[in-house]
Amino acid sequence: MTLEALLVVAAALFAVGLYGAISQQSFVMLMMGLELMINGALLALIALWAHSTGGNPQGQMLAIVFMTVMAIEMALGFALITNVYRVRRADITEKLRKLKG
Amino acid sequence: MNRSLTVDVLFWCFAAGSVLTGYLVFRTDSMVRAAFWLLASFVGVGAILVLLAAEFLGVVLILMMAGEMLIMAVVMVMFMMNPAGLNPMFMVHQHRFAVAAGVVSFAGLSAVALTVDFPDQPVDPAVDATAELGFELLGDSMLVFQTAGVALLATMIGAIALASRNGRFGTADEGSLEPALDIEELESP
Amino acid sequence: MRAYLDPGAAVVSVAVAMVVGVYVVAVIDGTAGRLAAGAGRSDLGAVLLDPLRTVALLLTQRRRRTERADAPGWALAPGLLGGLAATGLAVVPVGPGTAVADPSTGFVVFATAIAFVMIAVFLHGWSPNSLFPLIGAYRYGAQALSLQIPFLLAMLATALPAESLAVMDIVEAQADLWNVVRQPLGLPLYLMVGVGVSFWGPLNLPDGADLIGGTSAEDAGTDRLAWELARAAMLFSIAAMGAAAFLGGWWGPLLPGPVWMALKTLFLLVVMVSSRHLVARVRIEPFVVACWAVFIPLALVNIFVSGALLL
Repeated sequence: MTLEALLVVAAALFAVGLYGAISQQSFVMLMMGLELMINGALLALIALWAHSTGGNPQGQMLAIVFMTVMAIEMALGFALITNVYRVRRADITEKLRKLKG
Repeated sequence: MNRSLTVDVLFWCFAAGSVLTGYLVFRTDSMVRAAFWLLASFVGVGAILVLLAAEFLGVVLILMMAGEMLIMAVVMVMFMMNPAGLNPMFMVHQHRFAVAAGVVSFAGLSAVALTVDFPDQPVDPAVDATAELGFELLGDSMLVFQTAGVALLATMIGAIALASRNGRFGTADEGSLEPALDIEELESP
Repeated sequence: MRAYLDPGAAVVSVAVAMVVGVYVVAVIDGTAGRLAAGAGRSDLGAVLLDPLRTVALLLTQRRRRTERADAPGWALAPGLLGGLAATGLAVVPVGPGTAVADPSTGFVVFATAIAFVMIAVFLHGWSPNSLFPLIGAYRYGAQALSLQIPFLLAMLATALPAESLAVMDIVEAQADLWNVVRQPLGLPLYLMVGVGVSFWGPLNLPDGADLIGGTSAEDAGTDRLAWELARAAMLFSIAAMGAAAFLGGWWGPLLPGPVWMALKTLFLLVVMVSSRHLVARVRIEPFVVACWAVFIPLALVNIFVSGALLL
């Protein structure tokens, strides 16, 4: 469980999340891609905390901030998805065309 | 050492599981299963965090994600047109660009991970990370903790205000439309 | 300092405990049902054999299949619920220094197991591809989300005197005074949450009779047996944790520690299981409102008072 192995796994998670966030048409699937990206970042953070900082508690504090950001992003994301569906009847990104050139 | 080998095997199992189930999120037809594949990915990462001696963070991550993924499954059923996966589905746009972006970011981040010389100060397993985190939360990082709390409160109020059915100008159902019955033309991958 | 059995012994001991616990739950349920229905003392003899008869009947009954069901999910749900009950039971200590597993965040592991019950019940209601199970699953989602915060707050108050999240330390800190005396609001809240999380009796909203069996409406045979066993195991593990965290675990005057644990768990089980025959099922809307508007403030008051007493 070397630092390099952990960081490569975190990079893989981030890459899969990025693929999902860019490629998915539906809002909810897009958000799942974002969640995976934060997941990868969280793993990288704790990997560096465990191997390079010697257990500095501020690293864990930052991880708590990450999880708070995850929760906030999900809550507001779902609220906005609900709202945009009510106003524009759009559940995939292609249907939001008002500002398209 | 026997324990180290067990830890390594467990780590690779959880790591492979996390990445694989993360990929399956975007491949499966059933939307409820997609939410639970994402939950499995988070459980894998949480387990790795426990192996890394950040016990509290790992278990709290799994605890949080249980509730979040239930909500995700419910929202999937609300907004996705194929929640049970009874029909095959492949709703993507700019697929080749997305794959390229994923591969390039993986290559770049892995290159950084493998070439940079990170400092080597391993965490001391005898120190109780949970107690350290507790002292940090209520000591030096108290302001961060309070700010996160207030931010979560604002999020709760904002989400309820955005999504509630009884708005200031009437209920949210007025002016809302039924889902479209025609099938949009999807871009070819 | 942290007790861990090796995996083989751990699995065997938890399995044996769960079998005993499930049988005790079934016996208490039968007894309470017959007493509530007005049966005399002499009719209670059959109560010990009834669970075995039910198991035999369900094992031979034919399973039901629905159209386009989510078969892996349907098979996974009872197994997941049973696994969560086993996880919850594994972190409960039975004697001083004796536990299957005692991680330093044992209480959070138990809370995670409770949170995952939502996933198990949702899968169980979603998978049959049928209407009433799905309604039951959604009702349980509302019920369980509302119950989670009072549960976490009530249990958190027990961790305060111990200054540790490990369940062994929480029991050790009750050497002089049990938590139920120090924090009187905690145990009633915990029992209510326990009944709610294992959807039993008055809070049996996902599997209730008003939904013709709810998430179990399409279950028959081994499916139903597995689900009922897992549910009883969940009740047992919640009672065991309640005995450890609120009633002082293994502390007691004359008898050895594990016997006291068993007696206290039995007491909590009798209270929780018999509520099914004493209290009518609540309606979900007032219950959810009560959870958010009444029980969370009560749990917060509990924490403030116990924290103030400690300072």
